[in-house]
Amino acid sequence: MQLKMFVLSGAALTLWLAPLTVLDKKVGWHKSMQGLSLCAAAVCAVQAGNIACELAQDGEIEEIKTRAITADVIDEISVSTYVSQQQRQQEAEQILNPREHLERALALTYGDDDELEQERSKQLAKPDAERSQNDDAERKELIHQLRARGYGKAKIILEIWGSSKGGSEKYQVAEAEFRRLVGDF
Amino acid sequence: MRAAYLANYFVAGCAASSLLGWIASTHSMAQKAIAFLAAATFIVWGLCWLLDFSVSGWLKISVPNLQAFLLAGLAMALIGAGVFLCS
Repeated sequence: MQLKMFVLSGAALTLWLAPLTVLDKKVGWHKSMQGLSLCAAAVCAVQAGNIACELAQDGEIEEIKTRAITADVIDEISVSTYVSQQQRQQEAEQILNPREHLERALALTYGDDDELEQERSKQLAKPDAERSQNDDAERKELIHQLRARGYGKAKIILEIWGSSKGGSEKYQVAEAEFRRLVGDF
Repeated sequence: MRAAYLANYFVAGCAASSLLGWIASTHSMAQKAIAFLAAATFIVWGLCWLLDFSVSGWLKISVPNLQAFLLAGLAMALIGAGVFLCS
């Protein structure tokens, strides 16, 4: 297409200038040839102009396509970046939440559902046991301090468990707990 | 490519102008007709140049584009006629 345009452009220039300079106006057939060549030059130039116009429009369309593709690629990259950032954030949140992290780790470690449930309950029970051990240690420490101050059993139970001496079930439970802790000493 | 198509239309205008000169040289009546056509065209050209804002609004093109179009037309006519007369 481009070659055709260049050939037509060259032909137009040649047909316009060559007959006017080479041929003699006074000779009849020379003058006729000049007229014909000028007509042909105008037609060739218009044809070449039309082809060049089409090529220019095609070039503009290609440029628009390239821009659209580039914009699509940039959009896709930014979306994937955003998604990966969200995933990282979620992973970080899960790591910071130990209970969920534990459940997830257990789910990944154990395939069987029953085993999974058992192990999960065991694993989840561990923090409770640790917490109760900590409470016991604190209470033991308190009992130790109160004894050092000269407090008796009833007063220690009142101070730590908040139940006064009597036949109430709460007091009996507290007394049993006190004995258990004191027995551990 | 845009420059190529503008250049080709410019060459077409020059060739058309030379063709008009050739037609004028064929017969005295044709010469008078072409002279009248050239005079009318020049008057219209001058009016367009003077009333560029109105004409640009009527043709729905910008004033610089109209001025460029008028100057290109004048250059085509002068070059085409000059080439024909000097050959």
